[in-house]
Formats: sequence, C-alpha cells, structure tokens
Amino acid sequence: MNIIETKNLSKSYGDFTAVSGINLHIPKGKVYGFLGPNGAGKSTTMKMFLGLTKPTGGSFTINGKKYPENRMEILKEVGSFIESPAFYGNLSGEENLEIISKILGLSNSSVSEALEIVGLTPFKKRLAKKYSLGMKQRLGLASAFIGKPPILILDEPTNGLDPVGIHEIRSLIRSLPEKFHCTVFVSSHLLAEMELLADYIGILNRGHLLFEGTLNDLKHMALSKGYPTDHLEDTFLALIDGDNQKRGAE
Amino acid sequence: MKSIFLEWKKIRRTGFFPLFLGGGIVAGAVPIIHMAVRSKVYLIEQTPPIPFLFYENWQMMAMVNMLLVVTGSSLLYHLEYDHYAMEKWKSLPMRESSIFFGKVILTISMSTLPLGMEAGAIAFCSYHWFEVGSSLLKELWKSFAYAFLLMIPCILLSLLLSEACKNMWVSLGIGVICLFTATMLPTNNFLLSLFPFATNFQMAASMDRTKIIYYIYGSALESLILVLAEFLLIKVRRSFT
Ligand SMILES: Nc1ncnc2c1ncn2[C@@H]1O[C@H](COP(=O)(O)OP(=O)(O)OP(=O)(O)O)[C@@H](O)[C@H]1O
Ligand SMILES: [Mg+2]
Repeated sequence: MNIIETKNLSKSYGDFTAVSGINLHIPKGKVYGFLGPNGAGKSTTMKMFLGLTKPTGGSFTINGKKYPENRMEILKEVGSFIESPAFYGNLSGEENLEIISKILGLSNSSVSEALEIVGLTPFKKRLAKKYSLGMKQRLGLASAFIGKPPILILDEPTNGLDPVGIHEIRSLIRSLPEKFHCTVFVSSHLLAEMELLADYIGILNRGHLLFEGTLNDLKHMALSKGYPTDHLEDTFLALIDGDNQKRGAE
Repeated sequence: MKSIFLEWKKIRRTGFFPLFLGGGIVAGAVPIIHMAVRSKVYLIEQTPPIPFLFYENWQMMAMVNMLLVVTGSSLLYHLEYDHYAMEKWKSLPMRESSIFFGKVILTISMSTLPLGMEAGAIAFCSYHWFEVGSSLLKELWKSFAYAFLLMIPCILLSLLLSEACKNMWVSLGIGVICLFTATMLPTNNFLLSLFPFATNFQMAASMDRTKIIYYIYGSALESLILVLAEFLLIKVRRSFT
C-alpha cells in the first residue's frame, strides 16, 4: 500500500518548471530515498507535501488525505525537516522542543526522549543560536521525530554532520520504520548513502522522475541501458548525465 | 489560550519585558519631572489636575507608548524570521493566524504595564501638587481605559507591519515614520486623527462624551479591518509561495 502518492505533480515558478509532472509511489512502512543533484526539485516536492508551497499542477494524497482540503490532517501525521534547521535562537534546544511538544500536545517526557535520540542531552540548556551546525541539524531532526508521526519527511538529514553523526543518524533513520511503524521519505545527493538507508529510491533530475523502484530494479535498469553498475554512484552519474544530454540546455 | 502561553515562552531572553518596563518608567517620569521642574508656577492655579496633566504631558507619553509598541512588535516577529522559526511553524498542525493573535494578546496585555505605571505617575503628581477632588480616581480610570482602547488598533497595525516585513529594520523604520507622520496630523480633524498612530494623542480628559464614543467606535472599526487584513495577508502570502 502506498502511503504517499502523487499524480502528475508539478510546480512552476514563472516559466521555470522546478517539478515536472512526477508520479511518486511511496510504500507504507519503508524508507524511500529521494535522490537528485542540486536544484533537481527535491526540496520543492517536499515543501508541496507540507503545504509550504502550492503545486501548480497535478495532485497528491498522503495517507488517503488530499491536499489542499485536508492540509491540517496531513500535517498532524507528518514530522518534517526541510532544508535548513528552523528554531528560536534565543531559546535553548530543550525550550525549542518544549514549544513543539506543546503545539503537538505531547507528554512532558517526549522532549527528553527526543533530545536523547539525537544525542543533544548534554547540550540541552545551551541556546540554539550557539549550537554548531551539526547540533542545529540534530535539533531540527529531533523536532521532526518528537511526535512519533506515521510519516517522516527529511530533507538531507545528514547535511553538516560529522562522520560519527552521519552514521548515527543513518542508523536511526534505518531503525525508525520498525521502531515506530513509520514511513520515511528522505532526500539526498548521494546514492551511496541511499544504498545503506533506503528500501526504495526515486531519482529526480531537473524536475523529472528518471527512476523509481528498489536498488535491484535500478541495477537491472542500468544493465539493460548499458550504464556502469560496479559502483552505484557511477550508475547515478551516468543516469543523470544521460538525461541532461537528452534534455539539452532546456 | 495555548498560543498566548507559547508566545510568552518564546520571548525569554529577548528583552521584550524589560523594554516595556523601561518604557513605563520613562513615560511615567515625564509628568513627574515636568511638575518637579515647574511646580511653583502652576501651584497658584486651582485647575483640575487630570486634564491639566494630560494636556501638558500626554503628547510625550503617548509617543513613548507607541514607540514601545512599534519596537516590541518588530522584536516579536524578528524572533520568527531570524532563524526561520516561522517556516517550522507553518509545517506544524496549527493555524498560521494563531501566531499573530497570540502576539496581539501578548502585546495588549504587556501594554497595560506602562499604562499602569503612567497612571500611577499621574496620580502621584495629582496628589503631590494639586488639590484633589473626589472624582480623581474615576477620571484617571476613564482616561487610561480610553488610552488603552485606542492603543489596540496601533498594536494590530504594528504587528501586521512586522509580520509583512521579514527584515525587522524595515518594519521598525516604517513604524517610526508612521508615528512621526501622526504627530504632524491635526488632532482636531476627526477622520485624520483616526489614523491609528494619531488616535493615541487624543485625551479623554478634555473631551466630551459623544466624541469619546466616536473615537472608541472608530478604533473598534479599525481593529476589525486590521484583523481582516491579517487573514488577507496570510492568504496572499500563501498564494505567492
Ligand atoms: N521561490 C522560488 N522561486 C524561483 N525558483 C525557485 C524557488 N524555489 C526553488 N526554485 C528553483 O527550483 C529548483 C528546484 O529547487 P529545490 O530547492 O527543490 O532543489 P533541490 O533538489 O532541493 O536541490 P538541493 O539538492 O540543492 O537542495 C531550483 O532550480 C531552484 O532555483
Ligand atoms: Mg534541497
């Protein structure tokens, strides 16, 4: 069963098309990796799911709920982390999470749990504006997990983390579907990262969905098209390159 | 209720409360210093204290109050925009307008602090330098309740401006310009003096009943329009993203 489905979902800014009629199928209880180079339209797609930006064409459903009619219901089921972390600089990490937990109507223990999960407990009293980049990133992730939502939308969650942090967050994301029975929709530039993380992947380039399926499907597709398959990163690059040439300078 | 509590939590360490406290001290000092310096000249006159004190000092005190509101609201929205906090709240299941109304109620309640201190200062001056009649407290209450009511559209407008301008210096600048424009508007023209910042220079102490009621109706209407403008702003902004 697909928990998120899009139908010809598009977004244009003036005459520039950022997302061009994509049909995504994100199965329930899996980690779905959303891959693409800079400017492919990953963040734009995620923002549309959250109602942060309005689609200019097509439609989508999240857990059977339609946008825009059920925007509030959708937001209740989605935890999100989009682009740069967002927080109040004058509040501590803990206070920031307390505010979110109040909005979501969570119990008092949710804050300390979330801090523990992302490893911020020792720094919970420090002001968020004094956090390092990686700490801010972790705070943002904590604010996405805190409500244990059935759907998580994470935009480049390992951006700015150190190798240990990357490993921690990856294992965390990997474990989420089992632990909390949730679906994770996560974006990245790196196919190698997705190999470790995702059950399904979708590859986006210049707003077009080039591929959707499991990693095995991707290998088969690459073989049949004559792309290199020894390293998945090469496959990814060849796929993007092929698409760029096909579309020219459009 | 929840949103007011949240707004209260968000202003920690921002200097919002000290700002209103300090503003109240400054505004309250105005009539006291004024009287202390010039009391001898006035003592002879047996004027009723409240209209006199208002006439002499209110211009300045109202100015301080409005500067407080303008700075305070810029500060409140600066919090939201500085580290993109606002973006996060838009993706949480809450009404976008609840942030605005939480801030409105917070600022309105906070403005009672300087107004209360000013009322205390006027009362002090009245007892200290004038012969006080029995109607003093009633008149004091009337004047400040009126000043409080007229402040509401001013608060709504400042917050709306601050919400519309992501850069706090822009909203602060516009607010200050509005304020100074307001000081130049003639106070005896009813329509012009309804301009949100100009209304606050009106004094109940020297006004007859019908006029007071007109101003209150005028402010209520303005507030209503500004509330509608907030909903419009959210709609417009959403369709442009
Ligand atoms: N508000 C906007 N106005 C105009 N163009 C925009 C706007 N927002 C995004 N774009 C454009 O849409 C395209 C897709 O942007 P998007 O942020 O979705 O890319 P992305 O896949 O998330 O890239 P990255 O990996 O760098 O984060 C880009 O070319 C970007 O310049
Ligand atoms: Mg992005």
